[in-house]
Amino acid sequence: MSLNNILTNWSRYRKGAEEGGFHEYEHQWGMVVDLNKCIGCNACSVACYAENNLPVVGEKRCGKNQAMNWLRIERYWDEPDLEPYNATPSANIDAWIEGNPPAKKTELKPSMPSSYLPGLLEEGGQNFEQRVGFGGTKSEFQDFGASFLPMMCQQCHAATCEPVCPVAATYHTPDGLNAQVYNRCIGSRYCSNNCPYRLRYFNFWSYYEDAWPEPLHMQLNPDLSVRDKGVMEKCTFCIQRIRVAKDKAKMEDRKVIDGEFSTACVQTCPTGALVFGDMQNPDSQVSKLWSYHQVERGKTKQSKQNKELRGYRVLEGLNTDPSVLYLERVREV
Amino acid sequence: MSGNDINRRDFLKILGWSGVGVAVAGCDRPTTVTLEEGKEEVVAYLQPEEYVIPGVGVWFASTCQQCPAGCGVHGRVREGRVLKMEGNPDSPINKGKLCQMGQAGVQGHYNPDRLKKPMLRKGGALAEVSWEEALAALEQKVGPASGLAGDRFAWFTGTVSGHQSVLLSAHLAAMGSKNHFIHETINNAVARAVNQDMLGEAMPRYDLPAAKMVLSFGADLVGAGTSPVHFSGEYAKFRTGATRGVLVQVEPKMTLTGGSADLWVAIRPGTEGVLALGIANQVLLGDEIKVAGLPENIRTLIAAYDVKKVASITGVTGDRIMRIAELLKQRSPSLVVAGASVEGHTHGYQSAAAIMVLNIVLGNVGKTILPSGSSAFPQMEAKTGGTRDLLALADAADKKALDVVFFHGANPVYTAPAALGLTDKLKNIPFKVVFAVHPDETAMSADLVLPILSAHEDWGTHMGAYQPEQKSISIQQPLMERLYPDTKGFGDLLLALLKARQVKEYESFADYYGYLKNAFAALPASVKGDAVSDEDFWGKSLQKGVLNVGTVAGALNPKMVEISFPEFKSDAQDYYLVPSARLGLWDGRHANLPWLQEAPDQISKVVWTSWVEMHPATAAKLGVKEGDFVKVSSAQGAVEAQVYVYKGIHPQVIAVPMGQGHEEYGRYAKGRGVNPLKILAPVTDAKTGELALYGTRVTVAQSGRREVLVKLMGSETQLGRKMVGTVTASVFDRTEGAKNVT
Amino acid sequence: MSHGYLFLSGPVGSSGAVVPHHRSSRYFLMALAALVLGFFLAMSSAWADDGAGVPNAVPPKGEHEGKNVEQPIEFPHNIHVDVNKINCMYCHTYARRSKVAGIPPTSKCMGCHLVIATDKPRIKKLTEYWEKKEPPRWKKVHDVPDFVHFTHEKHLKRFVFDNEGMSVDRVSEVCAFCHGEVKKMTVAHKVKPLNMGFCARCHEANKGPFDCWKCHK
Repeated sequence: MSLNNILTNWSRYRKGAEEGGFHEYEHQWGMVVDLNKCIGCNACSVACYAENNLPVVGEKRCGKNQAMNWLRIERYWDEPDLEPYNATPSANIDAWIEGNPPAKKTELKPSMPSSYLPGLLEEGGQNFEQRVGFGGTKSEFQDFGASFLPMMCQQCHAATCEPVCPVAATYHTPDGLNAQVYNRCIGSRYCSNNCPYRLRYFNFWSYYEDAWPEPLHMQLNPDLSVRDKGVMEKCTFCIQRIRVAKDKAKMEDRKVIDGEFSTACVQTCPTGALVFGDMQNPDSQVSKLWSYHQVERGKTKQSKQNKELRGYRVLEGLNTDPSVLYLERVREV
Repeated sequence: MSGNDINRRDFLKILGWSGVGVAVAGCDRPTTVTLEEGKEEVVAYLQPEEYVIPGVGVWFASTCQQCPAGCGVHGRVREGRVLKMEGNPDSPINKGKLCQMGQAGVQGHYNPDRLKKPMLRKGGALAEVSWEEALAALEQKVGPASGLAGDRFAWFTGTVSGHQSVLLSAHLAAMGSKNHFIHETINNAVARAVNQDMLGEAMPRYDLPAAKMVLSFGADLVGAGTSPVHFSGEYAKFRTGATRGVLVQVEPKMTLTGGSADLWVAIRPGTEGVLALGIANQVLLGDEIKVAGLPENIRTLIAAYDVKKVASITGVTGDRIMRIAELLKQRSPSLVVAGASVEGHTHGYQSAAAIMVLNIVLGNVGKTILPSGSSAFPQMEAKTGGTRDLLALADAADKKALDVVFFHGANPVYTAPAALGLTDKLKNIPFKVVFAVHPDETAMSADLVLPILSAHEDWGTHMGAYQPEQKSISIQQPLMERLYPDTKGFGDLLLALLKARQVKEYESFADYYGYLKNAFAALPASVKGDAVSDEDFWGKSLQKGVLNVGTVAGALNPKMVEISFPEFKSDAQDYYLVPSARLGLWDGRHANLPWLQEAPDQISKVVWTSWVEMHPATAAKLGVKEGDFVKVSSAQGAVEAQVYVYKGIHPQVIAVPMGQGHEEYGRYAKGRGVNPLKILAPVTDAKTGELALYGTRVTVAQSGRREVLVKLMGSETQLGRKMVGTVTASVFDRTEGAKNVT
Repeated sequence: MSHGYLFLSGPVGSSGAVVPHHRSSRYFLMALAALVLGFFLAMSSAWADDGAGVPNAVPPKGEHEGKNVEQPIEFPHNIHVDVNKINCMYCHTYARRSKVAGIPPTSKCMGCHLVIATDKPRIKKLTEYWEKKEPPRWKKVHDVPDFVHFTHEKHLKRFVFDNEGMSVDRVSEVCAFCHGEVKKMTVAHKVKPLNMGFCARCHEANKGPFDCWKCHK
């Protein structure tokens, strides 16, 4: 398997957004994360530990940002400016008691400093600026709860991690995944530096030495390897499950059926906030959701007919073309 | 999704190692792998079942035992090892889903610190002994010849249900004892008492999807609550569909459920009942018909709590109170629920009752609060408890009223506040026997420790503590051969205890498996469905993992109780301590599971340790910031941990999470963090006698030390990037709502 | 101790994991074995096993000088395959259904050897294992690294079942691609390198998939 071969495949599948490279894909696995349903409970993250032989690194190494949580739930405290009513004690409370509540605010105020990351602002145009708050409300409390965001490898089509690998250990598969070949990896960590989502995880240590004291190691999943020191790793969209499903379909001379299998995180999600499937299959649930929300692959800027639809991709303006669609969180105001 | 569903007969008989080269690949340690011929061994089955294919995983149904919810699971088994848990889609409780605790069940099973041999206290220290010696010691102390009086014997357990519960009750009867203490630190005992008194049923059914609004007073429905996975699924339905439900959460410290609230309201601890009455007052303003329908005493009670008075007591601003009332009026039916932060006060019962009054005023009873009824098998239903029995045990031990106590599924030495003096009082019980999987604090202070099979090795049947509309019995079956030959099944031990007491009914059963099989054969035809024989029914039951059983209809009869509150004094000098519960470590029972230690707390994102939550205003007052160590002191003791500052907490509240601070419990738990339960004041709810977990006052002082607080979180804010976008519900209703796009 | 066999000697493996099946009588086993064996015998015929005769296939190139591995029983592949013409997949029955071919369970051996050649020393040894209810601990000969996903079933599908002009009774020729002429051996020894170059050359010649994650895991 020559480097040449890798590069050929790479350029074959990793085509620029303009060329619509994904048309050649056999499958293209994608995901949808509905933040209206996500409760931030962490079930997906632990399911990922269980499925993918992720080592537990301990408190000290967690403190050095060496935790190997391929799927993490980010929790942000800032809130968009959606103040339902003035959150400070109202001066005209007497008027309220008499049955004259203040008018409901439905207009969202732009609160984004326009000088901040100008490139990103273009992503959603005015819509984006309207929706995104900066630094929370003036309220004394966390009025709208928390903002939870499950982050797994976004499996970008125009992945920033791929072109920087000096040994072509990270490459694009015919399924549209960013794959990491552990045997090829030399641990330069360029890919991780280049990932805007910080979703690549480096084995700084030989975790197998102490992460699975006997008999904990009996839980390890034989369908994928245990990675050693000096190797980069990341979410694979449970490629071992994809492989089983594809092999099974092939043995039965049929196509993979939507919903026949899913990744560990999707399968366990207690609220069903995560959806997984093949975007090359127009009838799959993910395809339907992407098209309902008028988000298209291969674009750096969406031109939605209905600007109110919730679908967006995280940091889409960076031209990464991710395979994970997020649906905005919803709050009553 | 569950791959090969197998109609398995005697699973235990076929477990073994397949002899295939690459099968155990993932388990090898990279440095020791060899490809050299003749170095490694392959061993085939002596005789495989027809469905066992080396290299192919099979799934078996069982029941999760990580909390009392009783979710159905599918365990993935390959080459005789259980690898992964998934939810069982046939379970009406969790419908194919699972939480992080369920996922981590395998780490309890494969835990490196499991108890492997019986231990007997000899000359002050526990020493490993053989089962013969252990059982002989047991026979000597509790056998018919021991002369042990029935009332001097007790069982102390966590929630029990199913056939274990039946056997346990039979054993108590055989011993002539009525002493069954049931203890859960995370419980809804006070709310259950209120439900029983006001509705006639302790645990009615909540129809979350039917509610257009949920007003939760500290009820962590999707977190550390009665049935987290079930309510998470219900929550998703509540949030989608034609009318997106609105969630308002009122509590002193943000719970996981609070994190998803449309409106999160901080409240002065203990004043939730007052707020409920204040909201009722607002709801009733101008609605004379409704007011006229209420009993006189309730009318008077509600009338006393106008919005200004309530605002001054609760610290919730008047416009918030009116906003909530307005939403409730617009969104009927709604559902108002009370949780741990309401229950955990000396007047917890009164507050929870006031919250139920609000439900009655809103007309929710019969619409979103429905009669649960009982199943056709009441003797199998979950027996659950709270902290009252913990106090009762301490009291009985203090009075030297017990000679022998059997412990199972509870760790009172860890969960009891230091003020109870339980560790000392337990010394008055001459013979304490612990049936345990892991070396917890209670086991290590016992006189006899009997190592039992893990949940993934044992047989059993369970009924979840909360039963949805479709009531079910969930079957627990071994997912693999036992890891340690010197461990025994809990059911087998119960059966042996019954036989030792010569209880005729149980003499014919060789083991618990045989007993269960027989019990299944004896079930009525209505449960057996289309099974053609007992053997067929048994096979089908194991394959499905869940037996749906009929419901005996119940009815709710709303009734008022007397409600009165103590005088709420404003005292800014000290703080309320909130010993918060988290979905993950739970009440501390999962602190020995490394995945759950490394899974961050959902709200603070802290891993592996304890922390002290406070409001920015409080932190400013104390002159501390994140990472500073502070000493949190009550009259009963002090704990020291690092500060975490955020706005999801009332400024008068200091929260320290439960779960850490173990003195025993294996390498992952021992000596890590602090246990806030230890410094709780021994105050109780006046009506129910439950410990008032939120009723402790503390002072906070800097201890001068500072370290980086270890969190799995980069920035606390989005730095202006669109990481999490938010839209208003009106936008959602326009674009999706009833269109049912997902 | 090598960790490749860690789980075979672990706490579970040593406890009563190998209890014989309570439903199958000896006679049932014998009858079944005779029936199935008869079928496979009828299909077998003599072919040279260098793989060159397999249609639509380019046999992989590569040599390896494997050492002779001492096994608990010197199992004679030659007698079973070359003399008695038993199909490979009669014993390695999982090959067409799983990624692994599988070592036959002891019950399968006993299916025939309850009656056949019971006086031979090797069969006496086998019978001892059977009666002690302990399967023989064979030494592993053919192996691929743990980071490799190799599946027998798909290779058999490509070269046997979906291969026009190929018949199941000639499967040993396909097996020989990677295992050599086992029918000429007693216990198997490794004659092909089974390394990445060996695999990749064959995938190139036979137009197999070339994506890294097809084989790496």
